[in-house]
Amino acid sequence: MVDLWRRGWCLATGLAVPLLALAAPTWLQLDAVGPTWAVLWLLPWALVDGPMSGALVGAALGLLLDGLHPGPVTLLPALALLGWWWGRLGRSSAVGERSVSLALLALVGSLVLGGSVLLQLQLWHQLPESALQMLWAQTLITALLAPVVCSLELLFWRQLLPGGR
Amino acid sequence: MPAGRGFRLPTLRLLLSGWPWFGLALLLLAIRLSKGAGFNDLYALASRPFWPGPAQSQWLREAQKLDQQSRLEQLETDNRRLRQLLSLQQRSGASISAAVIARPAEGWWQQLLLGKGSWQGVNSGAAVVAPGGLLGRIASVTPSTATVQLLTDPGSRVGVWIGRTKEHGLLVGMGTARPVLRFLDRDLRVRPGDLVTTSPASTLVPPNVTVGVVQRLDERAMPAPEAVVQLSAPINAVDWVQVLR
Repeated sequence: MVDLWRRGWCLATGLAVPLLALAAPTWLQLDAVGPTWAVLWLLPWALVDGPMSGALVGAALGLLLDGLHPGPVTLLPALALLGWWWGRLGRSSAVGERSVSLALLALVGSLVLGGSVLLQLQLWHQLPESALQMLWAQTLITALLAPVVCSLELLFWRQLLPGGR
Repeated sequence: MPAGRGFRLPTLRLLLSGWPWFGLALLLLAIRLSKGAGFNDLYALASRPFWPGPAQSQWLREAQKLDQQSRLEQLETDNRRLRQLLSLQQRSGASISAAVIARPAEGWWQQLLLGKGSWQGVNSGAAVVAPGGLLGRIASVTPSTATVQLLTDPGSRVGVWIGRTKEHGLLVGMGTARPVLRFLDRDLRVRPGDLVTTSPASTLVPPNVTVGVVQRLDERAMPAPEAVVQLSAPINAVDWVQVLR
């Protein structure tokens, strides 16, 4: 864990995730489905700040997002897992700069997160008819936005922490 | 008296001098033979300024509206009295107007966020209506906001009623724009176009609130027939809703 975790205001930027999920800007939607903002925010954070910070922040984000929707479905395990995995990737390899790598990581993250929701909804017999279409649209728009959004965030975090990877 | 003065053909001069009269006679004959063609049209043209204008039709429409309103009031009074006799739930009529402040686009959950919460008297489970009919129910409340679970949400289940055939069903959200109505009986008299309202005996939502219209019927669905319902409230267009107390 580097230093992002200790700086309260850095962590507070995570509040943008539920706010963007609520605001749901229509010009950033594909087939009326918005991107997974949690993935777009958590990916650069975890790459810079490591697996422990990624998992903890992912879990915190999961708790926050779970409060926004009704029902028993939770995003917490998937986000914590993704945060931990991306943190390990950030430590062990040079994933960072390449747009394609970021897009692929975001694509996998969005698929994992959407897939976990889909499985839970199936378990509770509440699966929407258009679930696969939604999952695909969400994954695509997240992967399309990732190179731009995540690159900028990575740059920002790395400038803030010269010692960070 | 000189004899031999019989009928004489009119001279050409007389014919020429009397042509207007002949013309008139021919015109009258033509009118007679054509059952008033021309004459009636002329009359219509001349009397057009005195025809019953929009003012008259407006009066008639307003009279009709007044008649319908008074009948509606009378029926509502009757309905209240009968419901009281049967000890069924009453619609209080009180409602809270609330603005739609967010429409999350995640797609997994069909919900709206309202700008009023428990401080303004919004309670969990209250029905939410918009121009057109029922939208859903309040799923959760914070001090200043409330989350509405729409009828289209996969977790939404509301008991509804087809007034024409007096049949009950369960309206189940499918995550798409049109929820599905699952019937309890196999023998159905429901047809596309039938109006769907909340059940008159409902305790979860106010009775007799318009929900939508049956769009398509699948009688071969198992274990019971199903119908796709087009909701009457335009969910994607509403900016303000009413939370019924």
